[in-house]
Amino acid sequence: MKGLDAILHYEGFTMAALGITVVFASLVVLALIVSQLYKVLFLWENRKLYYDKAGKLISGFKSRQPTPAGPESEGLRESARQFSLLVRIMGEPFSLPKLIRTAEITGISHAHCTVSRLIAVNLIVPDQKGFFRWNHKACERLLQKSREQCAKDQYLMAP
Amino acid sequence: MDKFFYFINQTGFANLDLSSLVMMVIALFLLYLGISKKYEPLLLVPISFGILLVNFPLSALMAQPENGQPGGLLHYLYLGIELGIYPPLIFLGIGALTDFSPLISNPKTLLLGAAAQVGIFVTFLAMLALGFTDLEAGSIGIIGGADGPTAIYLSSQMAPHLLGAISVAAYSYMALVPMIQPPIMKLLTTKQERMIVMQELRETSKRERILFPIIVILVTGLFLPTALPLLGMLMLGNLFRECGVTDRLSKAAQNELNNIIVIFLGITVGAKCSAEYFLTVETIKILVFGLVAFIIGTAAGVLMGKIMCRATGGKVNPLIGAAGVSAVPMSARVCQAVGQKDNPSNFLLMFAMGPNVGGVIGSAIAAGIFLAVL
Repeated sequence: MKGLDAILHYEGFTMAALGITVVFASLVVLALIVSQLYKVLFLWENRKLYYDKAGKLISGFKSRQPTPAGPESEGLRESARQFSLLVRIMGEPFSLPKLIRTAEITGISHAHCTVSRLIAVNLIVPDQKGFFRWNHKACERLLQKSREQCAKDQYLMAP
Repeated sequence: MDKFFYFINQTGFANLDLSSLVMMVIALFLLYLGISKKYEPLLLVPISFGILLVNFPLSALMAQPENGQPGGLLHYLYLGIELGIYPPLIFLGIGALTDFSPLISNPKTLLLGAAAQVGIFVTFLAMLALGFTDLEAGSIGIIGGADGPTAIYLSSQMAPHLLGAISVAAYSYMALVPMIQPPIMKLLTTKQERMIVMQELRETSKRERILFPIIVILVTGLFLPTALPLLGMLMLGNLFRECGVTDRLSKAAQNELNNIIVIFLGITVGAKCSAEYFLTVETIKILVFGLVAFIIGTAAGVLMGKIMCRATGGKVNPLIGAAGVSAVPMSARVCQAVGQKDNPSNFLLMFAMGPNVGGVIGSAIAAGIFLAVL
């Protein structure tokens, strides 16, 4: 048996259509899962921060007062200064592993932890393509506050 | 004197026939291609030597056990193919050798790997039309996946009598990728498309690379359990490589085990190419349509690349679609070479590795479909 008869006898068209469909379907599903994998991992790695955020939202706690300028926020400003310089050198967009590695090379301690914190305060923001960008506006606001606080302190301490 | 004539009758000279002689010439030619031209030498050298050994007149290497006498060496080694042992073990080695990062960071290239499998099913239809059975047609069509171990695995399970011709065709075309693919790639793309520079790939984390083989197995295993012998081993090898706690196993799979299996696989595939099986009209049809399958696969990959190029506003270079046929990493290198001809500052290799390894997964799934349905 040859020709179209053979194809019809063996249900060739059905088989070919089924084959192409299954190959595409399984690889499309795989592509979709893999494309979302880094987002899921990002959530998992920063789950503590998200738990805290969720906890605050649920309990309805919302601080209307600006964060007092304690040693913690001063540390954040210092980190923002250091990382903004690093990002300027590395260029944007950047990947988190590269940023952390560069930070470690330059001697910044607890780089991973600091980067997590900068993400939590939206100084480092994802660009939806797997890379990250530096939030220049937020950084400028934070540093501006720091400068104002510094000027105020100097004014108060002046004789 | 009787002893003398008996001895003469037992020599190869007395029993040499034309078909054996032709096969020996073919074996020597393949050996020349492997050694001198370096066409897939790791496989072509043992395959061609196997062809040579088995085509000597009165060669007992493939002899079956008879009258209490043991069979030939290659008969026993061939059991590894017959029982479907070698190809999955080769996949274990490939998995341990392959870095899936380009695919993880750019997963849409899996679609290019899927598109390049179209050639398999088109050739399946063509072979049915030419009078082959469905099992034979499926085995021949899989050549279009340009994946040697998959082609061997499928044909050993569905059409063992065609194994020799199919594996020689599959490995020959894989070796000839640099000659077969560029004209198709150039024909289907414009110079502007070939010059497209793609955006840098993001780095992947270790966790992603560890989770990838597990996810692939969960998805494909549920879709198609028949693909598990190949994909399972491929992903196990990759897990050895990425998990960071099985370095010794990873190295063994990459080197010792892989090399041993390549020797066994190569020589026994060659041994299946005896004149009675190989010198037939069917072999010529297999060689011709294997090439057709390969060409259609390449073209389908490039066309899918063009679609993705349009859909992304020119961010995807369609040349990388040609790497959707497995042939790792040869077809990715061809994409790089063709792309650099038009734009010397363009580096497509890493981008092409995505569809390339996607093609390995795709062809294993296609083989699983044939095994499940036929």
